[in-house]
Amino acid sequence: MKKIKLTVNKKEYMLEIKEDTRLIDLLRDVLGFTGVKEGCGEGECGACTVIMDGDIVNSCLVLAFQADGKEIITIEGVESEEEIHPIQQAFLDVGAVQCGFCTPGMILSAKALLDKNPSPTREEIRAAISGNLCRCTGYNKIVDAIERAALYLKRGK
Amino acid sequence: MGIREVYKGRNIDEVLELLDKYRNDCRIIAGGTDLVVHLRHKRLNPKVLVDISDIEELHGIKKEGEFIEIKGATTFTEIVKSNLVNKQLIGLKEAAKSVGSPQIRNRGTIGGNICNGSPAADIVPPLLALDSTVLLKSKNKEREISLEELFLDKGKVNLKENELLYSVKFKKINKNQVLSFSKLGLRKALAISRLCISVFLELDKSKECKRVKIADGALGKHGVRERKVEEFLLGKRLNEETIEEGAIILQEEISHRLQGRLSLPFKKEAVKGVFKSAISKALENLH
Repeated sequence: MKKIKLTVNKKEYMLEIKEDTRLIDLLRDVLGFTGVKEGCGEGECGACTVIMDGDIVNSCLVLAFQADGKEIITIEGVESEEEIHPIQQAFLDVGAVQCGFCTPGMILSAKALLDKNPSPTREEIRAAISGNLCRCTGYNKIVDAIERAALYLKRGK
Repeated sequence: MGIREVYKGRNIDEVLELLDKYRNDCRIIAGGTDLVVHLRHKRLNPKVLVDISDIEELHGIKKEGEFIEIKGATTFTEIVKSNLVNKQLIGLKEAAKSVGSPQIRNRGTIGGNICNGSPAADIVPPLLALDSTVLLKSKNKEREISLEELFLDKGKVNLKENELLYSVKFKKINKNQVLSFSKLGLRKALAISRLCISVFLELDKSKECKRVKIADGALGKHGVRERKVEEFLLGKRLNEETIEEGAIILQEEISHRLQGRLSLPFKKEAVKGVFKSAISKALENLH
């Protein structure tokens, strides 16, 4: 067993983990953040995307011990107590969610983009979500939603 | 997975000490984008893992006299963002940008891409075309060899059991030189190279090839320099005719190398287009 300390959604955890535990398994099975989805388990689909120290990563490809000392944000960590995040609101308003399996990863990829680039072009949005597969929407609605989210975020400021 | 010990490396000395102690029982993990998949499928069964992804000394790109040095655990995202990877080095930037997805590029490293020895490693052809060397460190020793010498076979590199790829070095590129890259994948993102080509080019005043180096990926057991094509183009002007002839020589080389492979008819045809695209990208960026 290995002792690690990490912050998930602004809360600090001291944990003892098995050496071969992946970050996704730690987040889902130990900490209960089931908004992190496992699709392919090989880094192809992006359903397991989380934000680690400000950058998106596939949590199925990170071993939990590597995340020692890191700050992680999952979909559960983007909303405040009172309301959902403007990106989530934009996804709802535009109708960018169908089955919903890719949505947590999509929203986190969108958040990592908008945190660094508040006014992205459609091309930049497409590039930013190129590691997230969606088999329902055809992506257009998702790109629309992220464009609208950029507006919501600007208005909110 | 039968992993018994994991270490989060804090500095190089500690990592080299662990490598020396555990030798073949030990694997280095950086981004994990390939390794974790192999571990899950039990294709690799190390007893010990040493993580180098957070060692500061192993990150970054810097000028060292007349060389540029890229440290082993530098991620593709870091390469894409680096100011040192400028317009002349567009091929290196494009190769790094073409790897996987944003998530993969945030974690995957230049050292991992090289040491996996994958025939389709995207970062390898540009580095071969730059005549790169690699600095390998072990507990009491270090050695520098050419990147080309590092590749032994498919998935096999000339790295001793206690060695770590510390950095990759190549000569700074002049204003009259350029490095280009062209890749054929099956889709825009997350595409593993079907084939890719990188071209280093310098023209003299009369527009003849003064220096030309060509390397490709996914057209052999590992990234390969195409010396016959280089020899042919050297001292010639690049026009439709000479480029076409160069492409034909490349096709012959590949037919010989990939003999008996089912993918040969496809690759033999496709390589022409990718070669021409890499040459024209080089010419476009040369002024």
